[in-house]
Amino acid sequence: MAFMSIACRGGRSSCRGKGLETVRRRSRYLIAAIVLFAIALIVALWPEPAAGPGGKAGQERKGAVEGDPSERRGALIDQVVFTEEGNPGKAVGRIESGSRHVFAQGVTNKTVYHQLRQSEHAEFDLSYGSSSELTLNPSGPEFGDGELNPFAVPEIREAMNWLVDRDYIANELYGGLAAPRYLPLSTAFPDYARLADVARELEVQYGHKPVRAREVIEREMEALGAIRSGGRWMYEGRPVRIKLLIRTEDARKQVGDYVANQLEELGFETERMYRTAEQAGPIWLASDPSAGRWHIYTGGWVSTVINRDQAQNFADFYTPEGRPSPLWQAYEPSEELHEISQRLSRRDYETVDQRRALMTRALRLSMENSARIWLADGLNVWPYAADVELAMDLAGGLAGSRLWPFTLRFEDKVGGEMIVSSPTVLTEPWNPIAGTNWLYDTMMIRATEDAPVMPDPFTGLYWPQRIQGAEVTVVEDAPVQRNLDWLTLDRADEIEVPGDVWIDWDTEAERFRRVEEKHPDGLTARTRTRIRFEEGYLDRRWHDGSQMSLADLVLPYILQFERADEDSPLYDRSHVPSFQTFQRHFRGWRIVSRDPLVVEVYSDQIYPDAETIVAARTPSTQPWHTLALGIRAERNGGLMFSSDKADQTGETWLSMVSGPSLPVLDRHRRDAAASGWVPFAETLGDLTREDGPDQRYAAIAEWRKERGHYWIGDGPFYLHSVHPVEGSLVMRRNEDFPDRSDKWLRFTEPQIPVVSVEGPMTVTTNEGAQFRVDIRYAGEPYPRSGIDSVEYLLLDGDGDVQTRGVADAVETGEGAWQVSIAREDISALGSGANRLEITVKSNQVALPRFASHAFATLPAPNGEGD
Amino acid sequence: MADRSMVPGRGLLRDLRRLALFMVKRILALFLTVVVGVYLTILVANMGGKVDELRRIQIESTVAEEVRANPDFNDMSSQERNEMINERVQLEVDRLNLDEPFIWRSFDYLNQAIWLNLGRAEQMSSDRGSRDVYDIIGERLPATILLFGTANLLIFFSSVFIALRLSRRYGSPADRAVIGLAPTSAAPAWFYGIFLILFFAFIAPILPAGGMVDVPPPQGMAAYGLSVLKHMVLPVLAMFMSQIFISIYSWRTFFLIHSSEDYVEMARAKGLPEGRVERRYILRPTLAPIVTSFLLMLIGLWSGAIILESVFNWPGLGTLLFEAIGHRDTPVIIGGVVIFAYLLALTVFILDILYAILDPRVRVGPE
Repeated sequence: MAFMSIACRGGRSSCRGKGLETVRRRSRYLIAAIVLFAIALIVALWPEPAAGPGGKAGQERKGAVEGDPSERRGALIDQVVFTEEGNPGKAVGRIESGSRHVFAQGVTNKTVYHQLRQSEHAEFDLSYGSSSELTLNPSGPEFGDGELNPFAVPEIREAMNWLVDRDYIANELYGGLAAPRYLPLSTAFPDYARLADVARELEVQYGHKPVRAREVIEREMEALGAIRSGGRWMYEGRPVRIKLLIRTEDARKQVGDYVANQLEELGFETERMYRTAEQAGPIWLASDPSAGRWHIYTGGWVSTVINRDQAQNFADFYTPEGRPSPLWQAYEPSEELHEISQRLSRRDYETVDQRRALMTRALRLSMENSARIWLADGLNVWPYAADVELAMDLAGGLAGSRLWPFTLRFEDKVGGEMIVSSPTVLTEPWNPIAGTNWLYDTMMIRATEDAPVMPDPFTGLYWPQRIQGAEVTVVEDAPVQRNLDWLTLDRADEIEVPGDVWIDWDTEAERFRRVEEKHPDGLTARTRTRIRFEEGYLDRRWHDGSQMSLADLVLPYILQFERADEDSPLYDRSHVPSFQTFQRHFRGWRIVSRDPLVVEVYSDQIYPDAETIVAARTPSTQPWHTLALGIRAERNGGLMFSSDKADQTGETWLSMVSGPSLPVLDRHRRDAAASGWVPFAETLGDLTREDGPDQRYAAIAEWRKERGHYWIGDGPFYLHSVHPVEGSLVMRRNEDFPDRSDKWLRFTEPQIPVVSVEGPMTVTTNEGAQFRVDIRYAGEPYPRSGIDSVEYLLLDGDGDVQTRGVADAVETGEGAWQVSIAREDISALGSGANRLEITVKSNQVALPRFASHAFATLPAPNGEGD
Repeated sequence: MADRSMVPGRGLLRDLRRLALFMVKRILALFLTVVVGVYLTILVANMGGKVDELRRIQIESTVAEEVRANPDFNDMSSQERNEMINERVQLEVDRLNLDEPFIWRSFDYLNQAIWLNLGRAEQMSSDRGSRDVYDIIGERLPATILLFGTANLLIFFSSVFIALRLSRRYGSPADRAVIGLAPTSAAPAWFYGIFLILFFAFIAPILPAGGMVDVPPPQGMAAYGLSVLKHMVLPVLAMFMSQIFISIYSWRTFFLIHSSEDYVEMARAKGLPEGRVERRYILRPTLAPIVTSFLLMLIGLWSGAIILESVFNWPGLGTLLFEAIGHRDTPVIIGGVVIFAYLLALTVFILDILYAILDPRVRVGPE
């Protein structure tokens, strides 16, 4: 101040100048302070150096250590954190930078796929659950407005198969993220493998043959009365215009353009209508096909599980019975296709061979019908860090995998923390009765559950997890087969349901009704499944530490009936349709033995695989004490298990993990604990342990206090904490999980065979020929026990099948098989170029593999043998 | 004396009457604007009722696919399966009340919205699992206010402060620099966001690429707060970079015009200190537009920013409304709009009063 006052004596301008100088100096100090603060902030916030996967810093950060999975119990990692990330590019970038480990969404973006292929820090698995096709409008041949619809003619529809180049579509338009598909069977599912030889033959028959397509289309167009003028098709003086309804969300946009270009080359005028799913729906699904608003729609279908029985596809995709929509009602399949598809649909066959014959015929007829032109099975890419290992499902990828919680680990290490990006986290409320069914929620929930059986991620067949074995008995005419040896399959002329079996529920009396009460004249069933659970099944504990009891097994059954009974306060109209389906087949169940636990279930429902029957019949447990809180809340109003009932009543949809449900559950927990309340006490009272209610409510109260939610299970992970708004949740390893950590590790790699064929390039027509087939996996010979069959087709120069057969295993050669073609068969080929097609079916993975070998047949010297 | 005392009393009464009349008219006009705005939103969000048809098709398609994909239903006859599909479709149609003509439902929507009875979402749940629209919106509001409040306040006060300074240094290098950089604001904040993420999250990974907090969220208030701060740096910087120069430029031009008024020149000529000239002769008369801008900026926070929030995975209202539009969840869309409309109306109303307080020249009614 003294300085200022002296300086200011010099006059106003001098004072202002000094003042400005001071302001400037202060500004510099301020800027310097801001810069220093910014540097300090950056230093404080600077993260630990990110290391590439497997790097030292990475190991410390992740907390994984060297260890033997066989010496550990339960999950192979200590903690898994789910966090929201919907952008695939960003998710992959984060995996590469080491801040995330897995992305739980299947990626179909070509750029991301190529980025992953070149990445050193990221890997990926592929899944095959989606498919694309051309849906053709079969109305006509004239629409209501007089326009011509060429696709009303089956021959023209069939010719579309020859017009499109599926290899080009899969490799170029999908950028390699697809496999060519010709038939109404997914190329990744078991039915395709079972019929691989037929499929291969049809694929050759319906391969890309543009000249043939042009010939057929020209012939049929002329038969329709169209004329070709100046290279353009005209009908009734007007150009024939094909309206393509092209989906824009994925590669189907390019597919639509490609098909339109092909049609234009044939002389058609095209109108390309680019639409999203929502915009296209009213046109192809809801409008009358005969109105002519579209000719071709670029359709797509998705399956998140391996479907082991695709026989239904023929009825679904080619007959009016597929759907009640107008398009399906316009389908006019041939009488034979209609009948066979109906037989397959209701499983009207007695043996596997009969089924195969029907399927084979249906495949041929469906290709002749060609209401749909199947194009490609899309591949989804599932990215993860290079040092991560887990079991993905061949159809559902990670999101559809049941085994991911049991196999997720850092390669050759145990423990540590894994961060998984997921497009959504906690999409809808979690409750075990009618809570969320979103794909990603379900994926997370699976980690907290311990299902009694597990599906093989590569074949869809079930393996025992919590059961020792099962005995399946079916009636004689049931077309059921057994594939694995952990269960038995027997047949009986008649299966009588014993009188003491529980078949219904008396809501008022709160007890089960027996068969002898409901069906005094007796009852029969088509299947009996006796399931033997493992020793000590009910000695295990829930995540909150409470011990299991039979009540946990029985309560879900009771709720199945209660929620469909209009007299019950738990009645839920949205449950009724699925209950009615259940009741159509259900013929009762009973507990045969409590220790060890043996349960017997009777049903009329048949699946082709006995393993699937066991999986469908095996009851699983739910903690009765947390369900009890939901039951109390629904009975008293306030919380509802299902979304539909919540909306109907204006109450809250029950969530056991967060939100306004928790205080309501708290209140009911306190009331239930005070009175020692057990739901349906008339039945469950005897099935809980002696100190059941007290022990249970005390345990869940403690759990709620520690974890802040009510979600408990018996899986390899427990839900540690939930952060809904932040979009993340944390799961930790359940240290009391009974199984060794390496139990399911054999499913982390699908053993897809790599097939190659070697043989002569030329063969004279007077001699036989031998070809060697090498089958390997990861560079090693494929185990012979893993091969179901090696079949071959011999095709002549026109692509027609000359002969077919089965290869023989070479005794001395590891992974080697031999195809011997007899002299007569070679001779029948005549001179020219030929092809040997090999089909390898593995019992380790549903994907059949193919290889081919081209060779020339030359005339024998002196005409011998010709 | 009595006459003299009566005159001001009558004047006050007259002023109050005029004020009351003005306020009532204003409230009615604003209310009508809100009603029209909300009803238009209802019509647009439902495409004039066209959405009903789309929804029905979507429901039918979804249910048919669910049934087709479920092997439990494989052995049902086609007729049984189709009956079940129809039954399930009808349940959903009932739940969404799609059987009622849209025009009647639109009035129901309007009636509830006007009374701020936002009801239940049709498709969406809040992150915590509630279907109440209030919960759904309320849950996202703090994150939006935190991010956009911080950024906008920073931009507003920085730009006003810097603009005021620049208006005194017309033609200086700093002034020319701001004029030169103003066009950079043509790029939206999310555009800068992408580059910032690339540089600071991937190339030199010192800041997180997105989200609101670390994964998993840290324990303890201080650690949590620091984590949120760290996650705010890039989006705030993106917004700052996108808007600061154009904001400074416009305020600087505004102040430049006002600082060359005769009364300002007169004040300077009188030798008043520059600070006082700024405060009393420039800022004071321009307070009304500054306050207007400030309040509109504040209520602008309500809408968030769809793309910026998506780029940074920020759990705010912008992405919520985007999701609601995607799901065609009319109650959530209306909820977001009606609250914004009321806030806007309230702000306009408050501004009308503030103008009278801030500017003595503003009068109600005829002179």
